[in-house]
Amino acid sequence: MKPSTVKINPMPSRFKHQVPKYKVTRSNACINCSTCAKSCPHGVHERLEGHNKVRPPIDYKCIGFDCSKNDFYCVDRCPRKALSVSLNPMYETLGDYRWTADMITATWIMAETGYPPERTDLEYDIGNSGGGFDKLRLKFPSGRPKLDKFEISTEIPLNRRNDGRVNIMISTPVYGGGMSFGSVSLPTMVSKARNAEIWNTFTCTGEGGYPEMLTPYDDHVITQVATGLFGVREETIQRVKIIEFKYAQGAKPGLGGHLLGEKNTESVARMREAVKGSPLFSPFPFHSVYSIEDHKKHIDWIKEINPKALISVKVSTPNDVDMVAVGSYYAGAHIIHIDGGYGGTGAAPDIAKKNIAMPIEYAITKVHNFLKEEGVRDEITLIASGGVRTAHDLAKAICLGADGCVIGTAEMVSLECVRCGNCESGRGCARGIASTDSVLADLFNEDWATQRLTNMYHAWNVQLVEILQRFGMRSVRELVGRTDLLEHIDYSK
Amino acid sequence: MPKKYHIDTKVTPLELEYIHKFRIERGENCINCGRCTKVCIYEVHKRGRDGDSRKMALPSTVTCRNCFRCIQECPRGALEKSLDGDFLNMGGSYWKPDMFITLWKQAEDGKVPVSGAGYRGPFTGPGFDGMWTDMSEIVRPTRDGIHGREYISTSVELGRKLNHLVFDENGKMLSEVQNTIDVPIPIVFDFPYEELGANIRAGIIKAAAKLNTFVILSPKDITPDVKGEMKNIIPLMSYKDIDANLDLIRSVRIVALEYDEEMEKTLPAIIEKIKKLGSILTMVRIPATRSVEDAVLKLAQNGAEIIHVVADYRGIEIGTVDAENPPLLSRDVIRAVHLKLVDERVRDEVSILFSGGIAMAEHVPKAMICGADLTAIDIPLLIALGTRLYEEPEKILVFAEGVESLSVGTITQRMVNLMGAWHSQLLEVMGAMGIREARRLRGETGRAIFYEEIDADTFGKLFKKSETVSL
Repeated sequence: MKPSTVKINPMPSRFKHQVPKYKVTRSNACINCSTCAKSCPHGVHERLEGHNKVRPPIDYKCIGFDCSKNDFYCVDRCPRKALSVSLNPMYETLGDYRWTADMITATWIMAETGYPPERTDLEYDIGNSGGGFDKLRLKFPSGRPKLDKFEISTEIPLNRRNDGRVNIMISTPVYGGGMSFGSVSLPTMVSKARNAEIWNTFTCTGEGGYPEMLTPYDDHVITQVATGLFGVREETIQRVKIIEFKYAQGAKPGLGGHLLGEKNTESVARMREAVKGSPLFSPFPFHSVYSIEDHKKHIDWIKEINPKALISVKVSTPNDVDMVAVGSYYAGAHIIHIDGGYGGTGAAPDIAKKNIAMPIEYAITKVHNFLKEEGVRDEITLIASGGVRTAHDLAKAICLGADGCVIGTAEMVSLECVRCGNCESGRGCARGIASTDSVLADLFNEDWATQRLTNMYHAWNVQLVEILQRFGMRSVRELVGRTDLLEHIDYSK
Repeated sequence: MPKKYHIDTKVTPLELEYIHKFRIERGENCINCGRCTKVCIYEVHKRGRDGDSRKMALPSTVTCRNCFRCIQECPRGALEKSLDGDFLNMGGSYWKPDMFITLWKQAEDGKVPVSGAGYRGPFTGPGFDGMWTDMSEIVRPTRDGIHGREYISTSVELGRKLNHLVFDENGKMLSEVQNTIDVPIPIVFDFPYEELGANIRAGIIKAAAKLNTFVILSPKDITPDVKGEMKNIIPLMSYKDIDANLDLIRSVRIVALEYDEEMEKTLPAIIEKIKKLGSILTMVRIPATRSVEDAVLKLAQNGAEIIHVVADYRGIEIGTVDAENPPLLSRDVIRAVHLKLVDERVRDEVSILFSGGIAMAEHVPKAMICGADLTAIDIPLLIALGTRLYEEPEKILVFAEGVESLSVGTITQRMVNLMGAWHSQLLEVMGAMGIREARRLRGETGRAIFYEEIDADTFGKLFKKSETVSL
């Protein structure tokens, strides 16, 4: 599958308004001459047919101060100087250091259009966290790119062991992170799987069982085996091409999972073979794995049940993550998936999210180098996740040594998540993404969600291809470990 | 296995007007259609302004969870949201506005703050914010401490321990083993503020007793009504006042003395004097000024049992601040003290209590990893009652209206709740690290990741240009 063959369709927001960056104010001096309505091509100003008055400005459509260079800039065009543009205080309530309001807005635009924003007033390649990816920059060579975009491949192989198991190529070096049924709604899960099929990549069940509705997409689903073993059956292991062992999750390393009783609804309980309404804990760690030998036994067990599938091992990022990675390689894993401390979650103690285990940027470097020193780097696929927010983060992660990335929050934001962080409480997500509440989970349909995800993946792929083109690379595989193409704003002076 | 330490938390709301993070305003172009009441699942929007159900009431920001649905679905775009000015003004550069909200919540419900979505803050920060705790992936027996299946002990020992035992030729032990005191949680209360109401003072003492920890008090605050809690009280005085307080000292387990340079010589005699009154431990309280580690070392070498190092409430050392000598941060003060004592081979003989800027649960294990045996807190106890703190232009505490009429029971429970939440969070961090005894956290810097070190080791190595030497 070629990414260029993926079908993009505009898929606008579900909501009437978006969160505005600017505030357009019309003063009493307005004489309703509708000069603004006639000149603004973005639809901020409107005067309905047969109405005497211009309608109040639609703030979120405004492209801001950059517009002043245009001859249609309403503030300049207004004959009574009745219009002004300012930053909207509302914008400050959106986003945070890691996911800035600009980044969220830009991801929404990508999910709507399938392309990076045309607007120039959004800083979406880097966040405001002041470290890690946000201090790294891609160092592009000068001069015009010589390669044609169509010659560039973003494919990566997932089985590099050459062990007779299935060879899988994914068309873009990204796949969807594990989100269980229970933590997210069924439409969210199904649309993630449909998007994975469209992009010839994967999504992961998370630890909440394998809903029947995913069966048509078996070839693009990863069955997660986590410590609670919820919904894990021989049959769900046999129907897929990749099985993922989840040892820990970056947002709550060493703590296991916790589904609050309120979110354990009847359907969730059935899927997990548990009792409705009671909180469900996935313990930490696997109570059958206390050594790397036990870990090998685990992998052998899965390999026996499904003789073709690949094994992925998902771990978080302690000090010795490099040893864990090498151990997993020797235990027979095909993919080592490291999930950094700043990764996403449906519910985690705040103290864990901030403080436990290292950010992914350090872990990638550590693991990549150690696997190289051990001489096994070419036989295992290194996947990074936990704070990969944008196509630029993806490219930087690959430069640091990952083969590809897993994303979660970026997918949720494409479905119009605002990162309010209330996924875990009461009825769950007020926006219907991470909820199993019968009303809330019905707020959008799968067609809408699938297209939004497909569009966002497309926008990322467009950006990745452009990055590769500027580096003069024919394949994303050439980018792996190229730290020489990065610079750090503190050190590289 | 010792009996499991348990903190009884109980939801205890206060009837206060808290400050909220967001502010929602309804514009004049609202057409009272009621769409917002339907989309909001947190009941921010209701009908019935001035008793008129045709009109929308003022938004109740108290319950807003920032989901943006009302904003995005209002047909007229009539709703506006912004960060509340009073919220932004709270605290200062160390005590961040968000801290108050989370501490108030913990004091109310006694639970570990849990939320969805990943971490939202800066990548790193000064002091404690520049360190991550480690975890163990596979090779370790089960934990599940917080959910009750395994015992993780948070208790620490206070007192002096012998470096080694001495025996005579007949094998009879000559060394005298001093008594130590177990505190079940590595947090003691430092009495925070001179002008506190009697109910707050009683609440702090009762909470300390309920948790079986200690509270450090001035003798004048030890009134007859708290005589029942003497075993949880540490009176704090000058060593010159010992003679005036003999009866008081006889009734407690630990006495705290203000540091004085004299003590570097006189401490052994003072300790002996106190020991004569009973099996009582002596604690020396020393401000964390520049090079405090040297004074701490001298005290340790002179037989100090517990040394309480007190930094500024903003987590920095005490003293004049100038541009050339920026103040050391708590993290570095503790490390300096700890390492000095390790280097001089006396670290295991004394207990180090650290306070100053312990504002959140995470600061407790982090201070211990840096080298403290335990921590002391003061301001968080008041924040538990809805109090706000402002750093600029000078430290000021603003108490919630009506706090003087709160019952001692409510005050006690709010503080117990806060400590219950912190205790659970300590268990989370220790569980992830695979450490089952809090005492073993002390000085375990190998089980932490320090930003400066890992950044230099990773990105520094990769990106630092070889330094050019200019002659």
